Amino acid sequence: MNSYEQLAKKIVQRAKRKGALQAEAFLEVGRQSSCHVRDGEIESLTESTSKGVGVRVITKDRRLGFAYTSDFEPASLDSFVDRALQLAQTAAPNKLNGLPTAAELGKPSDTGELYDPAVAGLAGDWKIKAALELEKAGKAVDPRITTFKTVAAGDYVAEVYVASSEGLSGGYAGTYVYLVAAPVASEGAQLQTAYWVDYKRFLGDLDSPEEVGREAARRTVRMLGARRVKSQQVPVILDPLVASSFVGDVAGAADGNEIYKKSSIFVGKLGKRLAPESVTVVDDGLLKRGLGTSPFDGEGVATRRTPILEKGVLRSYLYDSFTARKAKARTTGNAARGYNSLPFIGTNNLYLEPGTRTPEELIREVKSGFYVTSMLGSGADPVTGEYSRGANGLWIENGELAYPVQEVTVAGNLLQMLQDVDGIGSDLQFRGSAGAPTIRFKQLTISGD
Amino acid sequence: MPRASATSTKRPTPTRLAPLVARQPAPLLPLAMIERLLAVAMARGGEFAEVYLERTLTTAVMLEETRIKSAQTGLVQGVGVRVISGAKVGYAYSDDLDDAALLRAASTAAMIAQGGGSEQSFKVSRTPAPTYYKVPTPLADVDVASKAALVLRADKAARAFDSRVRQVSGSYVDLTKRIAVANTLGFYTEDTQDLCRIGIRVVAEGKKKEMRTGVFGGGGRVPFSHFDTFTPEQVGREAARQAVATLGAAECQAGPQTVVLAPGWSGILLHEAVGHGLEADFIRKGTSLFAGKLGQKVASELVTVIDDGTVANGRGSINVDDEGLPGERKVLIEKGVLKGYMYDSLNAKLMGQRSTGSGRRESFKHMPLPRMTNTYLAPGDHSPEEIIQEVKRGLYCANFGGGQVDITNGNFVFEVSEAYQIEDGKLGRPVKNAILIGVGPEALKNVSRVGCDPMPDPGMGTCSKDGQTLPVGVGLPTLRIDNMTVGGTQVA
Repeated sequence: MNSYEQLAKKIVQRAKRKGALQAEAFLEVGRQSSCHVRDGEIESLTESTSKGVGVRVITKDRRLGFAYTSDFEPASLDSFVDRALQLAQTAAPNKLNGLPTAAELGKPSDTGELYDPAVAGLAGDWKIKAALELEKAGKAVDPRITTFKTVAAGDYVAEVYVASSEGLSGGYAGTYVYLVAAPVASEGAQLQTAYWVDYKRFLGDLDSPEEVGREAARRTVRMLGARRVKSQQVPVILDPLVASSFVGDVAGAADGNEIYKKSSIFVGKLGKRLAPESVTVVDDGLLKRGLGTSPFDGEGVATRRTPILEKGVLRSYLYDSFTARKAKARTTGNAARGYNSLPFIGTNNLYLEPGTRTPEELIREVKSGFYVTSMLGSGADPVTGEYSRGANGLWIENGELAYPVQEVTVAGNLLQMLQDVDGIGSDLQFRGSAGAPTIRFKQLTISGD
Repeated sequence: MPRASATSTKRPTPTRLAPLVARQPAPLLPLAMIERLLAVAMARGGEFAEVYLERTLTTAVMLEETRIKSAQTGLVQGVGVRVISGAKVGYAYSDDLDDAALLRAASTAAMIAQGGGSEQSFKVSRTPAPTYYKVPTPLADVDVASKAALVLRADKAARAFDSRVRQVSGSYVDLTKRIAVANTLGFYTEDTQDLCRIGIRVVAEGKKKEMRTGVFGGGGRVPFSHFDTFTPEQVGREAARQAVATLGAAECQAGPQTVVLAPGWSGILLHEAVGHGLEADFIRKGTSLFAGKLGQKVASELVTVIDDGTVANGRGSINVDDEGLPGERKVLIEKGVLKGYMYDSLNAKLMGQRSTGSGRRESFKHMPLPRMTNTYLAPGDHSPEEIIQEVKRGLYCANFGGGQVDITNGNFVFEVSEAYQIEDGKLGRPVKNAILIGVGPEALKNVSRVGCDPMPDPGMGTCSKDGQTLPVGVGLPTLRIDNMTVGGTQVA
């Protein structure tokens, strides 16, 4: 057992000694480094280490208190444990307050490797070289690429340790490595930008700097000359990057915290058909090599694979242990967490399962429609399902991508949008912990001229 | 800039619950250690080095289902070291305050400079900071029970407002942040930045299970007594009013319309439509559509935009920025003409300008970037009633969710959470799911009326840039914009 695991245990013991009914410590340690470049030169290099621990206490009369600190001096740690207990006196007793029981915790899941020694041991030079190659590859795509908003490469090594009075004790380490580029293209008076990114746990899974740079440039240059279109109702296709945020909206409506407060359009719809059979949305905490994969969630509960929508039918909400108790359900291992927060509902690896059709086929069947490649604003309102966002992309004419479009909005309602999914691509991809293939909706409202 | 001893910061009074503030050492680190870090940071031949220290205590109280769900507190502290060599920046930080960890951070940041260099010593002396926010008792020292009482009162008022109120959730969050910045120009500046906010969210249910949400809140760099006048009852009732008022709202018409923005929080339009595009990093890199437009007409002559870090007790106010320079009031656009950009030190230096005290960062974990503080539009001559009466058909935007901008093509959006149709100069039926979209300068050129009713927002804005979030203020008088694209679901 390493020293951080021991520290987590000691914090729990102190809280118990000071009168806590239950106590839990969640500890994070990380180190990160990154390199930004500009015009073939280093723009900035950063390197850092960070750590912190949060302690959650349940008092004998079932009140909840929480405190966190980045100061690991023993006296400071002791005083913050005491503060969590003092603060709990301000909160109301609630018989549903409690840490996950041994049964709820389950056995930590077998996730396969999460840690890539190649990432942990990456030389500083790699980041500089990768970022420079990224910029060069992007620039080479088109002379109209005049500058970049961002070109960066970086890595992150994170360790998590947990302990609780309910028998929880464990930890894991994971690595992350990323490349990101946001070129700017200019023609006439117009400037356009787009970005492309890859973010993986394993160096071997990461797209090459050339691939990321070229794709970023391709997405940027094709937006030059963008214009508005008339307000109209047409078929709308979301590319995988934008589609993954739509999948996030689906998960948002399944958030167990909104469910028990009856503040979601998914309330009362469990077991009901909400979408065509082609639609399966899954949160999978066990996905091999997934960015969001971990053996347990933010309160130590074993992660799992949870279908939210299965063949179009709403199968599950997403819960942590408290919201599950409120809903008389079982936790789904969806407690998200940083050391500086109480658990909240989040997703692990969230994705829409791919279909069988190529994105080109989905476009070809549209006579007049909108292929969306980036959006502005927040997604669906989980309370009403209302969806209204700024959108950029390409107009589809007679089955072909015809010209770039900007300064329009796309509007609909999440429930209607789910029913209207009439095509799913085979091109599932992850740019982070959320993934999606291309999605097509029968009809949405475009606002423009 | 004169160098004198710093204005003494008031020592916090100890209370039962907040021993951490009371035993805070006067400087976050001894001056000798700070000077040593600067020397190590410069050892590889850097041109400039800076040490940023931070210690932030946070308290939060959450309410759900009429009860205080949890009370929490947190402490984060650390040091960030920045070294500049030409246009290159080395940055390292540590939340470990022991000497070895700090020296390691300084020598890591130093690596950006590849020159030989040798360790020379640096002396810093205290530079006084102005005072735009006086908070006699640090918020961290206020009894948590009083904070919980605020949220409970707001909940009660929201529920009493209307029987259709179904859910009320709320929070009170505050922080007391102490920062110190020292650099190789010899400056050492300290500031204590208190900040608080109460927030209430109400869900109301109408006929046929229609649900509507209302959100309201506010605060600032204010003493806790602020809530004696900005009462939690007022906050709860306003959130409930918004939720109930929008029940039965009609679908929104898609396409260009005349829009009238209510005063206050709608200033977020300004923040998105022009503010970000005037930040110097985007200008220097040529990624903003406002680059190279100084002295040009970029808005209607009715439009004067100011970013002011010196507003008394403003949520976005700063005595000093996160590079230690005093907060300033800057006229960005005057009568439609672009007058200036917002600079941090690095971009100012690279562009041959002076910093406007706009270098802000989320924490010691971040490098400073040029950012807004409190951004507002100067008032005009028209009464709000007149402005509405003149509109034959349009949309009155009373309240807003969030906004976002692409500073490169200028596209911005602005989510309208409470809107009404204007028919023949009168407010009509509420409208739902509306969003405004435009290109910054075009929207500002279409400003045709500016009200005489300037109003700051109640203190609830948070701005995000490059992953760094910061408190900001916005403000706007009643404003009319013609030919604004409104996103909606109905096509004529």
